Amino acid sequence: MKPLRDNRWILVLQQVWPLFPAAIFLLGFLVIVVSYLVGLSLSQPLADAAKFPSLVAVQHVMEMPVFRESLYNTLLFVVCGTPVEVMLGLVVALLLYRNFRARNLIRSVILIPLAVPALVTAILLFIIFDFPGGHVNHLLLGRYDLFPRLLHDPINWRSIKVFALGISLLGKVWRDLPISVLILSAGLNAIDPELFDAAKTMGASFKTRFRLIIVPLLLPSISAVILLRSLEMWKEFIFPFILAGKYNLLGTLIEALYNNWGRSHEAAVVALILVACIIVSTGLFMWLLDMVRRRLTGE
Amino acid sequence: MKHPRGKMTQLFWFACMGAVLCMVLAPLYLLFKYSISDAASINTGGAPIPFWPYHPTFAHFGYLFSDSRFYDVVLNSFIIALLSVATSLALGIPAAFVLGRFQVPGKRLLLIGLISVRLFPDIASVIPVTEFFIRIGVHNTYLGAVLAHSLLALPYVVFIGISAFESIPRDLEEQALVLGANGFQRFFTVLLPLAIPGVIAAAIYTFLLSWDEFIFSYFLLGMGKISTMTLYLNQKLNYSPPQNLLAAISVCLSLPVILFSMAVQKYNTAGVTSGALK
Repeated sequence: MKPLRDNRWILVLQQVWPLFPAAIFLLGFLVIVVSYLVGLSLSQPLADAAKFPSLVAVQHVMEMPVFRESLYNTLLFVVCGTPVEVMLGLVVALLLYRNFRARNLIRSVILIPLAVPALVTAILLFIIFDFPGGHVNHLLLGRYDLFPRLLHDPINWRSIKVFALGISLLGKVWRDLPISVLILSAGLNAIDPELFDAAKTMGASFKTRFRLIIVPLLLPSISAVILLRSLEMWKEFIFPFILAGKYNLLGTLIEALYNNWGRSHEAAVVALILVACIIVSTGLFMWLLDMVRRRLTGE
Repeated sequence: MKHPRGKMTQLFWFACMGAVLCMVLAPLYLLFKYSISDAASINTGGAPIPFWPYHPTFAHFGYLFSDSRFYDVVLNSFIIALLSVATSLALGIPAAFVLGRFQVPGKRLLLIGLISVRLFPDIASVIPVTEFFIRIGVHNTYLGAVLAHSLLALPYVVFIGISAFESIPRDLEEQALVLGANGFQRFFTVLLPLAIPGVIAAAIYTFLLSWDEFIFSYFLLGMGKISTMTLYLNQKLNYSPPQNLLAAISVCLSLPVILFSMAVQKYNTAGVTSGALK
């Protein structure tokens, strides 16, 4: 029996060997990423490798006011950005759900932001929100006839925290909106149109149809968008890096710690905390969404 | 005659759709407008910035195309992107073939393992990768950038490839087997040609990912001599250049991405295998 078993494994190996280079490459890097992150985080900064394990770097990070502020900013980014992306995505998906002549063309146009590099979008917002002479300041100062004057002095958007993070969020939402639209459109298209027709025949208003048909049947797609978008919000780096300056998110704090302050151990600690935040937040969202689903389906 | 309420709904729909299209297109228009703006259209001395330049000019594109450094960064971006495509396809397509065509033991776990490294935020995984590359001496080199970009693209290449190979009817391979084709012949003469649209989509995806990649390039090449388009744009930003120059570089960086993205859409809808067995 043994030779037969050996032959089976040889046959399997003969079939699967082309998989090995990619698997070794990706799993190798996974090991490198995890081991270096843990190794750097748990070894003492400014000491040799023998000072492992040590919680000095973790302690340094916890004592940094900039870390607490970055964590708070990132949390704010996730809490504000995720619902905005879901709501806007839902509105656009509902607009596209109708049958109209140029539907495919308009869908392609709406997908364009996805093809624009994030760095370019950030630079564009950098120009539009320039101080004192960007388009937005000129618009709010009432220099165009089409818009009333709302400001007396121009705003330095990138030097005020709420605006700096706000325009970073604006860039993120503009660029990533197509992903939400695609997912929600796919969900909407999977709903049987006869359900809408039947509800319409029975006199249900749009509000009723939205509450009783669209939301429950679209819940898996909405859940996917919430999970994916919140994940991306945690991971965000480019927009705040270009637009938010000293108002760090966790991502930009990692960059500042590593490149500007030369504190690789602390950068690794913040990176690990970011990963932990993503895992906790994803778990929390999954639990909440499951509760909502149970409530809607009466399970 | 339409019901007045229906007409109102339609009007509302048009207004909303118009607003959405404005929201999508206005920034792109402004980017293009800035790229062809003359200095007087930007530094207006208190007058409103015009929505179309006073004297449209391609002078900034001219400046870029006469700058040898710009050619260097475009060339670097091309070299890194093409080598990343080659590396990702060389590793990813054979893996996708195996995962798409055979019953591999523990396939689900393996797929999770392959995508795991991409579950880390780029800004978190770039620190260990940079430290490792410094240690093995590939920091600030083409090889380092290519390896990093391939790392980012490879999981997607594998997944795109799997769906491409899975969509090929099994009967075709069986017919080739009956006709005496060995494994290599079946892969190169039957399966790979039919998987080409998926392979091309994966190649374009990898090229674009590498072309506009910023985080890994910034950490791995940012302090060295090799610069890419995204690093060039970021470096220019640090020296407060004229906005029209920034916009011109941004247009040069975005245009290939937008055009290639449309090409990917076309390939995705090609459906070449339909009717292959007739």
